[in-house]
Parts: sequence; C-alpha cells; structure tokens
Amino acid sequence: MLIIALAGADSVEAINALIAGSFGGTIAIARTLTFLLPLTLVALGWIVAFSSRRINVGFEGQILMGGVAAAWAGIYLAPHIPFPLQLPFAVLIAVVAGGLYAAIAALLWAWRGVNEIISTLMLNFIATGIVAWLVAGPMQEPTHQFPNSPPVVPSALWPHLLPNSTLTWDVLLAPILVAFTWFVMNRTAAGFLLRLTGSNERAARFAGVSTRLVTVMSLAASGALAGLAGSSLILGAGTGKLAAQFSAGFGFDGIVVALVARNNPLAVLPAAVLFAALRSGSGLMEARAGVSSQLVFITQGLVILLVAGSAFLFEQMALD
Amino acid sequence: MGPFDAFWLATTLQLASPLIFAASGEMMAERAGILNIGLEGMMLVGAFAAYWVTLVTGNPWLGVLAGLGGGLLLAALMAVLSVQLRSDQIVVGVGLNILALGVTNFAFRQFLGGNQALIHRFSPLSFPVLSNIPVVGDALFRQIPLVDLGFVAALLAWFVLYRTRLGLSLRAAGELPAAADTAGSSVSVLRWVGTLVAGALAGVGGSFLSISLGIFVQGMTGGRGFLAIAAVIFGRWRPLGTVLACLLFGGVDALQLSLQGRPAVPREVWLVALVPLVIVALRTSSWRAPSRQSRRMLVFALVALAGLAFFLFPPSVSLPSQLWTTAPYVLSLVVMAGAIGRHGMPSALSIPYRRDRVE
Repeated sequence: MLIIALAGADSVEAINALIAGSFGGTIAIARTLTFLLPLTLVALGWIVAFSSRRINVGFEGQILMGGVAAAWAGIYLAPHIPFPLQLPFAVLIAVVAGGLYAAIAALLWAWRGVNEIISTLMLNFIATGIVAWLVAGPMQEPTHQFPNSPPVVPSALWPHLLPNSTLTWDVLLAPILVAFTWFVMNRTAAGFLLRLTGSNERAARFAGVSTRLVTVMSLAASGALAGLAGSSLILGAGTGKLAAQFSAGFGFDGIVVALVARNNPLAVLPAAVLFAALRSGSGLMEARAGVSSQLVFITQGLVILLVAGSAFLFEQMALD
Repeated sequence: MGPFDAFWLATTLQLASPLIFAASGEMMAERAGILNIGLEGMMLVGAFAAYWVTLVTGNPWLGVLAGLGGGLLLAALMAVLSVQLRSDQIVVGVGLNILALGVTNFAFRQFLGGNQALIHRFSPLSFPVLSNIPVVGDALFRQIPLVDLGFVAALLAWFVLYRTRLGLSLRAAGELPAAADTAGSSVSVLRWVGTLVAGALAGVGGSFLSISLGIFVQGMTGGRGFLAIAAVIFGRWRPLGTVLACLLFGGVDALQLSLQGRPAVPREVWLVALVPLVIVALRTSSWRAPSRQSRRMLVFALVALAGLAFFLFPPSVSLPSQLWTTAPYVLSLVVMAGAIGRHGMPSALSIPYRRDRVE
C-alpha cells in the first residue's frame, strides 16, 4: 500500500484492480489458477530440499530443463507413440530431466563440497543459455523466423478444464502433490530419514544413515518437482511451444510461497493461491492504476525479509 | 590476431573489475562470518543508483558515490536482519536479491520511464610512461580510473584484514566469535562492518557496470554477484586468491566474447585450457596414491599427450553464441569442483552468534 502511494497512484483503485484481475470473473480466476501449479510445485521442491538443510535456488533452471524435455517428447517423440501414453510419457521425461539437472548440483555438493546455492544458480544461467540456443537452433520452428520451437502435438497437451479459458486439468496435480509430499515426508521411512538428516546430521550419520545419499536424493526430488512444473508450463496452459525464458520467474516466486508457508507442505496451497493472485492481478493493476507490475517483486522480497526476520520474534516468544 | 591479444587483456580487466570490487567486499563479510548472498542485489542497486545520479548530475564520480550508498543501504538491511535479528542469512540474501530486482525495475520504469539515455562516462586514465609500453601498455595502464580503483580496493582489503587490529578482530569474528567476544571486541559491530564493506564495494562494482556502459538495463548484473561469491570460494577466502579468481572469470568471459565471432576454437585456446586440467589432475592424483611420484608422472604424461594432440590437430569445435555466453558460469562450476573441500572457509560462516549459547 505504502509503495503504491509512493508511486503516486490511487492505492484504492490499484488494490481494486489487483483483486478484479485475479478473482473478478471466471476468466480471471482461471488465470489465477493456472499460476497455482508451478508455484505449488516449486514451493514443495524448496521444502523437500530444505528438509535436508540444502538450499535449492536452481528451480528456474530445473523448470527450463523439464520444459525442454517435455517439449522434445511432445514434438518429436509423441507422433511415434500411441495417444494415451503421449502426455504421461512427456511429463515423466520432464520429471526425470528436472531431477537429473538438480542432481548435477547435488553430486557436486556430495563429491566436491561445492556450495549448492552457487552451483544451482550457475545452472540457472547455463539452462537459460541452452534454451536460448535450442529455440534458435536445433529445436527452432521449421520456417526459422521466430525464436521458438514448433508446437507440441495437440494430443500430448493437457486437455482444457474449462471452456474458453487457459486452465487445464494439470491444476489438479497441485493438491494431489501437496498431499503426496506431506505423506511421504511424514508417514514413510524415506521421509523419516530425510527429516532426521535435516534436523541432526551427525545423529543420523551415527545411526547408520547414509546422509549424503539422502541429501542427494532430496535435491534430485526437489528438481524433479520443478521439472514437473516445467512440463506443465509447456504442455498445460501455455502456447505449447518452447520459447526462451518460459520459466517466467516461477522458480523464485515458488520459494517465497514456501517461506510464507513456513516450510509446511499443507500450508503451501493457500500461500500459492495468494501469490498466484498477485501475479494474475498485477497486469490489470498496471493497466488501470498505472502501478508497475514490478511491485510484485518488491512485495515478494519484503515478504521474504519479514518472514526471515520474524523467525527471531517467534524464537523470543518460545523462550519466554 | 590470436585470441589472447592486447584487446583481450583490456577486456579481461574491464570484465573482472566489477567482480574484484564485489568479491573483495564479500570476502571481508565472509571472513567476519556473514555469508552475503544478497551481493547480486547490492550490485544491482549500485548500478541503478549510479545511473540515476549520473543522469541527473552529469558527474560519474557522484554516480559511483551513489552506487556506494545504494549498496550500503541494502547492506544495512542485511545486517539488521542477519546480525541483530539473527535470521537465516541465506534466506535473507535471496530476499534481498528479489527486492533489489523489484525496486530497481520499478524505479526505472516509474521514475525514468525505462528510457535509455546515455550518461556521461569516464575517460580513460593513462599512467605516464607505463602506458607507452608497446602492446600491453594501453591495455594495462590506460583504463578508466575505476579499473585501477578496483585493485586499490583489493589491496586495501588485504591490508585491513592482515595488517590491522580491526582485521584481526574481523577474522576472529568469522573463525571463533566467542574468542573475539572474550577479547573484548563486539561480534555484532565487527559483522556489521564486514557486511557494510561488502555492500559498499558491491555498490561500486555495480556502478562500474552501468557507468562503463553508459546505460542501465533491467537486471543488468546478470549473475555477476554470484560469480563474485564463487570467486571468493575459489580464492579460498584470501585477498590475492580472490583477485586472481576474478581475473580468471573476467578472462574467460572476454575470451568467450571473442570466440563468439570465430568459426572454430583456435589452438592456443586448447593449450591454455589444458593448464587448469593439469593442475586438477596433479592435485587429485597426489592423495591416496600408493606411490605418489610415479602416479603423478603418469597422469601428467597423459594430460600432456592429450594437450599435444589438441595443439597439433585442433578439433574444429564451434559453439553458437548462446552457449558461449554460459562459459563463465560453467567455468565457475568447474573451478569450484576443482577447489577441493572447504579448506580456508571461515569456521563460523553463516552461523549467527549468540552470546548466551556459546558452545
């Protein structure tokens, strides 16, 4: 609010436009929901990696690689496989690609002690370069006019959930994966090892847990979730074509969602709705009230800082 | 002209200089125990503040000062959160980066209308005599003054860290904060100092980017803050090592720029690329080998043979420009993998200090 006022715009009108752009009418709600899945998946990915006390900031790159794999499968492979298998196959390949891309950073960490924050970030830039090259080279559409790939075979795309909207069936994966992640982390042996490793690495090691393996697996799983998000950005609501920068910052927004959810998988969904609405409504806010959509970045940065700072207050309250 | 000509040398210095500023600052912060992931954001704010002030005043020196101030402001926020409130430094850093991106993009569009007006730039500063040295004179001694200042900053960082009481206390705050505390220095103040130095230098490094180009581009730091952090790690948290790592990154960046326009990778590049390979090969073979000497010789001979082969029959490799652009990032991964272990890392890095919880 304060920032909007500083920008010299009518803050009431700006907020109204933000709400109208995100929840006003079926189309706006559908658009908001399209943003839900990638945000949810990345947030879950952060939580899975953070459970073993590793910081994955390479979701952008993992999304890109997942999207590349999905697009490749959907364009070149799909015509050769029977219809009902096309979509699941493309999604599966994307999940594997995202996981493998994160595994590079995980293995560098395990074998060479390379700080995973830096390596995952570097891998983002490398992935951006690779996609820019693919859409201008090997995977460019046949006329070589536009920097994007040919469209994915229509039968390999997610079907639309609502007519006349961008929303596709893959959005249902969001609640399913939230439940799944919660279940795996809290009700299975693998989840127990993960939490044990994260909360007390030494104790886990003395108990005979291969903490390195657990950590590598958690980072790979984190990347796999981002890869799935990437596949949805290609096969779901998007244009069905691979283009540079299609990850559109979801890789960082999802981290904010996870922090707001305080690393609790079950709280991810409401937090993701909030940030999906912010993203969805900011366009209309810019158009109507003249407030730059960049405000969303500022808000997100402030939210992260507030959440990080408030941890201190929670700690104090716990002591008292 | 070969790939390693005087132009390459000059470009190397220009590309390394922002990294040298930022990395020297980051090294100070990390030696004091603060892992400042927000370096990228501090550079970005510095770049924007410098552009804006130079645009208004027409004086690039005031711009650099503004860049320094912008970096300081963000660093103060970092210090409040990570030193006073003892928040997770990494999370705070990630937040600062996003905040900086938002604030600069927002202000650029809202207040400057996203315009691309060229600002006043520095003119090169030539050292008398030295700049007349043939071939390398112009490249080394006729650069804009900020390039020279970068090396001065790095030298100062070394002097403060290793030749002053403050530096000793700073290093103590990063190695064993309880000891610094016992000796009567305030760990909080020391960490504040380290963080502020990092912010100020990152701000200057950022202002280098916008002022040397004459324009501001949204998100123009493009990962240089993270490269600077990688340089600190590769330089093993030491001033000289950090500067050398920055020069390495700058050199590779300059090289990939010139290789983008070439049909194939020239043989000199293969030869030079072999040097780090030899070093890594020697290092990895030196431990756990039963008879060190013979094993080393074998590895060395193999690598040398491969190098000779590449030199005599350079494989005709050419990469598209989009992939060349990723070279510095790939390199940073490789060098971090080559820098074995965490030897040299400040022991208390990224661990908040609590007086009441000393172990």
